[in-house]
Amino acid sequence: MDEARVVNPDEVMEKSVRAAAIFSQLDQEHTDRITRAVYEAGFNHRVKLAKMAHQETGMGSWQDKVIKNVVATQLVYEDIKKLKTVGIISEDDERGIVEIAQPIGPILAITPVTNPTSTVIFKILIALKTRNPIIIRPHRMAVKSSIEAARICYEAALQEDAPEDCIQWLAQTSREETQALMAHKNLALILATGGGGLVKAAYSSGTPALGVGAGNVPVYIEPSADVTFAVEQILMSKTFDNGTVCASEQAIVVERCIADKVIGEFKKRKGHFLSDEEIKHLEAVAFDRERGVMNLNIVGKSARVIAKMCNIEVPSDVSVLLAPLKGVGYEYPLSSEILAPILAFYIVDDFEEAVKLCIDLNFHGGIGHTVSLFSNDEERIKQFACLMNAGRIVVNTPSSQGAVGGIYNTLHPSFTLGCGTGGKNITTDNVTATHLLNIQRIARRRINERIGRFDTSLYFNESLDANTIEQQFNRNY
Amino acid sequence: MIEFNMEDKYLVCSFPERLDTNYCAENSDELLQKIEESGREVIFDLQKTAYISSAFLRICLQISKEKGRECFSLTNVCPSVKKVFKIAGFDKLMNIR
Repeated sequence: MDEARVVNPDEVMEKSVRAAAIFSQLDQEHTDRITRAVYEAGFNHRVKLAKMAHQETGMGSWQDKVIKNVVATQLVYEDIKKLKTVGIISEDDERGIVEIAQPIGPILAITPVTNPTSTVIFKILIALKTRNPIIIRPHRMAVKSSIEAARICYEAALQEDAPEDCIQWLAQTSREETQALMAHKNLALILATGGGGLVKAAYSSGTPALGVGAGNVPVYIEPSADVTFAVEQILMSKTFDNGTVCASEQAIVVERCIADKVIGEFKKRKGHFLSDEEIKHLEAVAFDRERGVMNLNIVGKSARVIAKMCNIEVPSDVSVLLAPLKGVGYEYPLSSEILAPILAFYIVDDFEEAVKLCIDLNFHGGIGHTVSLFSNDEERIKQFACLMNAGRIVVNTPSSQGAVGGIYNTLHPSFTLGCGTGGKNITTDNVTATHLLNIQRIARRRINERIGRFDTSLYFNESLDANTIEQQFNRNY
Repeated sequence: MIEFNMEDKYLVCSFPERLDTNYCAENSDELLQKIEESGREVIFDLQKTAYISSAFLRICLQISKEKGRECFSLTNVCPSVKKVFKIAGFDKLMNIR
């Protein structure tokens, strides 16, 4: 595919539709061969692609991007490899229901700058496992590495006689071209991961879309938690790829009774607590007040580099920058989502105050995404979880790795984390292959016994109310 | 192998069961040459065919462009292959029976 040419949405879709047509004939065995070949190719190029992504975007670390590529290949493959995705996938004789999996058709994948190659491979794997052609539209700052990931996957797929053009990629598309593709009549689904504007455009296109909303993950360290463990886990998560995962912790909430211990543990691990003056410097650099979002130039940068950008003096081995804040909202820019090793820090008096603050943080740009809790009190874990609006409430877990799934819990490994209706998504699930199927059901005749024996003429007697009818309907002779 | 038969004004081409990428690569030159030489209307008989590849779709598209809808048709198409042509939108470009 010529990287410089103008994109003709009709031409791209025509090819994709033809690939979908050929895909319709493939059996499970052939589909699985293609999926395995793509997984192996992606996995075998994990280091090269990670280095390319790091070099191109200047974000994160190549070593952590290798791990992301491993999750996107090995863990995703392990999760989906035995999944039935072709033809009859279940038969329930008792209920008389047979389920048949059908592909949904061409998918447009919008992929981000923060996890470019891993997201590309992940979306390709789940698309091919479900016999759907996919068109990759990468972030403008990660075109080269994203396209290389797609190309590697495509060549591997063709080796297993996958349909031509089952994977396509667009080097550079104008806003109009992207919108034309999104709204194209032959497109089945948009898998959108990216900035808010792009995700909103996907939802507004008229084509079904699974989009990822923004996160703003509060992490509450409850007094029953193992504080040392909690701080270690949070740091491991927040410094992973310099905080580029949208499920990474954004704000620490602790009760006064353990605050000193938490602060001490962070300091022991090279966390730098910012003064009020330093917070002002950081806000100016890290946050675009006009647009109400983080500045792209600090995304995925290390704490040391960001501190330097703000003229804040820190030791060279600083791990994170912690900003003690008094409130939540745009007047406190560091209470918003910032994909870098920066954490807001709050001290509260008790559980109730902690939960209320986490609700504020959760609703400040992160509805439906992820919240995190460190606790050993089962009751409080459940109380806390029931009051949050989050698809994932990760417990005693590094949030970045925990929300993505497959390492610290049994959530499906995914680079598309559904945020529910709060995030304008149709699902709170970790999106995976099962979301890319149309399930048809053969429904055999199984008469509802209660209807069979119920005297339906009673429906026409106006004097009988709902309770009387219900009693008759459910009568157990 | 493709079987070629002249019937009235038609060139009938009969194909085997599996028209995968390799098969098309090996046979497309001969097929296109025979079609050109015959100068007749073309019928693809897919009675034995259960699987077609992207390459075969491309061949069909090329012939349809050269011959036009009136002079190119496919017969004895099995349901799963018919579905392929339908999804690809080729039923608007050629006669499929």
